Amino acid sequence: MAVINKTGAPLQEAAAPVRRPSLPLASLLLGALAFAGMMISIWAIFLYAPTDAIEGLSQRIFYFHVPVAWLAMLSFVIVALGGAIYLWREDERWDWLALAAAEAGAIFTTLTLVTGSLWGRATWGTWWTWDARLTTSLILWFLYIAYLMLRSYLGKTSTSARAGAVLAILGVIDVPIIYESVNWWRTLHPAAEIGTPGALPPAVVLVLMLSLISFTLFYCVLLIQLYQLVRLQHLTSRLRARLQVVD
Amino acid sequence: MVYMVIAYALVWAGLFAYLAFIALRIRAVRTELAAVEELVREHEARQE
Amino acid sequence: MSTLSTLRLFCSQVLAILGKDIRYELRSKQTWLGMGLFALLVFVIFNFAFDLRVENRAAVAPGALWVAFVFASLLGLGRTIAAEREGGSLDRLLLCPVDRRAIYLAKLLGNLLFIGIVELVALPIFAALFSVPLFSGELFPIVLLGTLGVAIIGTLFSAMTAATRARELLLPLLVFPLIVPVVIAAVRATGALMITAPDEPPWLGLLAAFDVIFLSLALLTFSYVIEE
Repeated sequence: MAVINKTGAPLQEAAAPVRRPSLPLASLLLGALAFAGMMISIWAIFLYAPTDAIEGLSQRIFYFHVPVAWLAMLSFVIVALGGAIYLWREDERWDWLALAAAEAGAIFTTLTLVTGSLWGRATWGTWWTWDARLTTSLILWFLYIAYLMLRSYLGKTSTSARAGAVLAILGVIDVPIIYESVNWWRTLHPAAEIGTPGALPPAVVLVLMLSLISFTLFYCVLLIQLYQLVRLQHLTSRLRARLQVVD
Repeated sequence: MVYMVIAYALVWAGLFAYLAFIALRIRAVRTELAAVEELVREHEARQE
Repeated sequence: MSTLSTLRLFCSQVLAILGKDIRYELRSKQTWLGMGLFALLVFVIFNFAFDLRVENRAAVAPGALWVAFVFASLLGLGRTIAAEREGGSLDRLLLCPVDRRAIYLAKLLGNLLFIGIVELVALPIFAALFSVPLFSGELFPIVLLGTLGVAIIGTLFSAMTAATRARELLLPLLVFPLIVPVVIAAVRATGALMITAPDEPPWLGLLAAFDVIFLSLALLTFSYVIEE
């Protein structure tokens, strides 16, 4: 809203930064790196990594599940950090970053839940247990959806950006609390406890690291694209709003 | 085994479909932006 | 201005807004009558849904109590800022040279008061319907702290959703995920009054800790939510 009131700057100026090559060099390079990393990690996951003695082939979901889950959590931290810096600096670019990360995070959390569920089915014979980690992932998913719904209902306004920032800040502090409280809540039910993986063989750690790095690179590419999308959407709607004000 | 295949297929298909979806959305917004810019230019021309 | 007089001014602002809200709510009785009836209906539905018997009563009753309280609270919480907005008095309230935190605290206290009254009426009925003994005074701090936790988050988010078209839909979606720790702690603390289990963490203390964390966060961020 504040932007519309800022008269004086000619309309052309707002449109100027949009003119850029559609895929900048850095993004392209990052994309290539991510693609190469993905290819190597696929080879490593299926051919290099040893097959787990107890869990068998389904253990290989692990190499996918862990990076995706890590990115789902990283995303929420980015959303909250972007929101906090937005509240502090009033620079809407941080809000665009937060919104982009929220969308990517929602996708990655969904994938975490799906792969985790499949792994659980293959390993423990059940799709779901109310263990702390699973419950927290589910709550995280709800928070992402709530964030995106809130932002879409409030439109492309600074009210929406501030409300989203507050939700993300509360969420990022709440999620560890939820994890701990579910843990305490379930202490009476040791049957639901997942055995923590003990000492992993070095090959497994290597493949996992490779997978983590290539997934994170892919995530960066995705985030840059999403950021561009959010930025263009905001610029378009602002230009449109100005046009209406001028008329 | 089956679950592993499902999981990998879902993740790959999901991520790449999503990337393609984003690319499409970016293209749509770019077209829209170009249209709005055209409107702005027309408007400025009219004022001068 | 010295710290003491600032504090006194702050308190008088809180009390003034609180007084205004109490008068408003007393004049229109629909909200809290509706909340009370809603809580009773949830008890009745739970009775059918779980086929209450002597052996499962202790397991179901705390959950039923808190589901009823949380849902009924949200009914009232949604109206906190929306009523002001509909009446057009929100802008006037924001134009006053009042600390935003004072507005938040007044709204929070008002919500706590009205939800508290509804809960005080609902508790004896709950005890009768579920034929659980109305436990000693130990239940009161649990109910108070649990309600406070729900109200802290609810009041903050009702300010956000008041501006949207779908506030009845959006408010629970925002509030429920965040109050999970409060609900867990409140249900377990209530359950521990009925059956004493060994090795339980100090739920009441945790509940108080959650409230303190949420309250400080809400006070820090409320001014960003309410600004137009």
